[in-house]
Amino acid sequence: MNHKPISFDHLLGVSACLAMAVAAHLGSLPVWVLVTVAMAGGIRLLLAYRGRSAPPRAIRLAVAALAIALVFAQFRTFNGLSAGTALLALMAGLKLFEAETPRDIYIVTLSIYFLSVSALLQSDSFWLLAYLIVILWLTTASLLRLTTRHSGPDWRRALRYAGRILVQGLPLALALWLLFPRLAAPLWHLPDDGSSAATGLSDTLSPGDIDQLVQSDEVAFRVRFAAAPPPPLERYWRGPVMHDFDGHTWRRAYSGGAAPPLQPQGPAYRYTVSMEPHRHNWIFALDWPARWDLPGGRLTGDYTLVQRDPLSRPIDVAVTSYTHVQNPAALGTLLRKRDTAPLRGNPRTLQFAHTLRAQHPDDVEYLRSVLAIFTQQPFYYTLTPPKLAGNSVDAFLFDTKRGFCGHYASAFAVLMRAAGIPAHIVTGYQGGTFNRFADYWIVRQSDAHAWVEVWIEGQGWLRIDPTSAIAPNRVEQSAAGALSADEPLVSRWQRRTPWLADTRLRLDALGQLWRERILLFDQDSQSRLLEWLHIPEPDGQKLVLVMAAALTLVMCWLTWSVRREIEPARRELLLRAYSRLCAKLAAVGIPRPLHEGAEAYAMRVAERRPDLGPTVAALCRQYSRLRYGAAGARITVAQFDAAVRAFRPRARTRAARA
Amino acid sequence: MSTLRQAAIGRLRAWAARRHGSDSLPIKINRRRIYILPTRVGLMLALTLVAMLIAGLNYNSNLGLAFAFLMVGVALVTMHHCNRNLLGLQVDAAAEVDAFAGRDADFTFVLRNDSKVDRCDVEIRCQTACGTRTVAALSSESVAVAVPVARRGVIHLEQFELRTRYPFGWFHAWTYVQGSLTAHVAPAPRGTRILPAAGGLGSLSRSEARGDEDFAGLRAYEPGVPLKHMAWKVLARGGEAAVRSYSSLAAQPEWLEWSSLEGQLTEDRLSQLCLWVLESDSAQRIYGLRIPGKEIPLGRGSTHRIACLRALAAYEP
Repeated sequence: MNHKPISFDHLLGVSACLAMAVAAHLGSLPVWVLVTVAMAGGIRLLLAYRGRSAPPRAIRLAVAALAIALVFAQFRTFNGLSAGTALLALMAGLKLFEAETPRDIYIVTLSIYFLSVSALLQSDSFWLLAYLIVILWLTTASLLRLTTRHSGPDWRRALRYAGRILVQGLPLALALWLLFPRLAAPLWHLPDDGSSAATGLSDTLSPGDIDQLVQSDEVAFRVRFAAAPPPPLERYWRGPVMHDFDGHTWRRAYSGGAAPPLQPQGPAYRYTVSMEPHRHNWIFALDWPARWDLPGGRLTGDYTLVQRDPLSRPIDVAVTSYTHVQNPAALGTLLRKRDTAPLRGNPRTLQFAHTLRAQHPDDVEYLRSVLAIFTQQPFYYTLTPPKLAGNSVDAFLFDTKRGFCGHYASAFAVLMRAAGIPAHIVTGYQGGTFNRFADYWIVRQSDAHAWVEVWIEGQGWLRIDPTSAIAPNRVEQSAAGALSADEPLVSRWQRRTPWLADTRLRLDALGQLWRERILLFDQDSQSRLLEWLHIPEPDGQKLVLVMAAALTLVMCWLTWSVRREIEPARRELLLRAYSRLCAKLAAVGIPRPLHEGAEAYAMRVAERRPDLGPTVAALCRQYSRLRYGAAGARITVAQFDAAVRAFRPRARTRAARA
Repeated sequence: MSTLRQAAIGRLRAWAARRHGSDSLPIKINRRRIYILPTRVGLMLALTLVAMLIAGLNYNSNLGLAFAFLMVGVALVTMHHCNRNLLGLQVDAAAEVDAFAGRDADFTFVLRNDSKVDRCDVEIRCQTACGTRTVAALSSESVAVAVPVARRGVIHLEQFELRTRYPFGWFHAWTYVQGSLTAHVAPAPRGTRILPAAGGLGSLSRSEARGDEDFAGLRAYEPGVPLKHMAWKVLARGGEAAVRSYSSLAAQPEWLEWSSLEGQLTEDRLSQLCLWVLESDSAQRIYGLRIPGKEIPLGRGSTHRIACLRALAAYEP
């Protein structure tokens, strides 16, 4: 091992790389970890700058023990991505703190590499990958400077060299990435350490929740239909269903075991939902999902598609839905009890419902009369309703009369239940934006919606969207279309600047391509790749064989391309130029036998073609000098090559022959 | 552990010697004789790569895998570059070098690089000593490897090693060259007896040994020589810097005799003779050496000196 002491320059390079690698974890690592690493590196650099060595061993050990204890206190485990990353970052920082020999730096560089990968495990960003590859490049370049003992290259040359190696490594990386067998299921269960918060709809609904959500322009999911999409009025994407109401907030309740099967009517819609990792376990499917391709996926009792674990990675789910279904004949008593549970609070609403119910004993008529209230009375659809506390439905129905879809759905469901009609609230999304550049639909948080389902005897669950009664545009177009122009909605600027919206759609299409081709590349994609290579019945074994073949090819190419650079090139150019000269002379009828030397050849040429004689003699003399002479060649090989190229002997003319 | 390693390396060297036979210098390092293994850091890197791979597979992260595979690619390319750093390099060495016991024998090597790429950090190792050079593209460098020699004698170095860890210290490529190099280790020059003058009087003091009355010939320039003694004409003709040397005693031949040192131990006698040879040489005298079994006739100059020293080195009682 090389025992030369390390210089400030080495330390600076590696510290910068470590800082960049740790910065990739900004936001997921606890702040104190970042601060500790920064301080450890900073102190060591300062010491090195003053020409001093690392701090004494006792201090280093104490700091290391303290750091490990703190990590354990924070995470209660060393297992899992966050705790492991925090520990690794700390250890790398402390290694830097005590760095004395090149070996310490080597260990820090290995930590930098691993920190880079662990940043990628939780991210899907192209930019992060690019950033980390830059870190790989810089780290490797500083490693080159560390390794070369004797007159090492300067930074620029080290960077160029490391860059070359990186580029030469690309084909190998590509072959491995395409063909390395992927696991169908993880080797061990991944604990979800909940390092990122859930986004989108939650499993409660209070007045004002959806208003908040709708102001976000974030993408909730994307959908690609296999054929024509359903008409706008049927684009309801079903999320969590709420049953319990405490007078202010709706909550989820027992969802009633397996969903009773629905009898499909009308056309089936096949589509693929590309979910974002929203940290809940539900998948937004078109009302009502019938078949899906999702391991561990099932329908809850109220027809929400869920999987076992919360979504921590983006997934694609192929689903078939029917927008028109026939409901089962009867509602189970348990479910009826759940959806007609006695309501607390809101006495004015209950009173009003009883009065209205007395006038309309028929369920459907009662329902119509309630909807009529929303259209006839001065209700107003707005994103910024007054804050409602306590009996929110009372306040909304009789005082403010201003609300967003959540308010209307909540009020409507309460009015139904007060009349003994089973009702619950469905949250989800409605609508979506079509991306005409790549033929898919984008559903954003701004499309979040809430509606009501009521049970009508003989008809089953009916979807009632009270919002459509007040603001039909909401359902036909989008929230932005239904709200008046002075509402604070993010998506509105897009209407004013269509070219910007187009650019955004194009970028989104690129992102979707990245997702489909790169992020979701899996076993199926690999079999498709093998099929494309005309390999029948692709399986794991054939994949490994193809990988071996591809790697062999790439390694051969690599060996060739790396060794090609050390060919003695100058001589080769000279020989090539000379053989070109001979070929040109052979073309005019004077070939050179292998045994003939350059000077003899020149003399023979001069005899046969006196017109070419002087030029050829000069060229041959130059060749001899360049090839065999020590010094004294007045021209370079390149000049000789140029002279040969310029030499154009013409075939003997008829006059000359005569 | 370390002895096991030593034994393994010993066997490897013996095997390589059998495999390649003896080499005639200069030789060009071909690919069949370059060996390569990961270093300890390289093994740690391999472990890190495996961990990256498992993590990427387990988290089903295509980007993590992409990064890990890129690292694998970089590591394999690095292996090729490490190997290439020695490939096609031409090695030559001075077949015979001279040294004194207790000092270093400077084995001199020439590395020649005919290619367009620099060969960085090429290390030549003889026994435990080593020298490192970077050989730029299309150039050659000479490397002196100072091997400490404790005892007088003729030392044969059957094998030396070229090695490199370039570029990143992950791999260690090396090659063995079976070039038989010889070090003639003369005895350490020491003794108490004064140089015998012509006729065996031994009365002249050393300060008189180098006079400036008569021109005695040219000797190599050494710093500190008076400028008026410089042989400017020789320098102007394009020759080496040389110094005119004058000596009043240069013309008087003398014999350095083994037999004149009766009563001393063999090595002490040899040391004394060695000292006399050096003194006579620096005094530009004509001298000869007589030891049992060998006689170097009267002569002068560096070739003569070397012949005398080698005779002393090779003396076997």
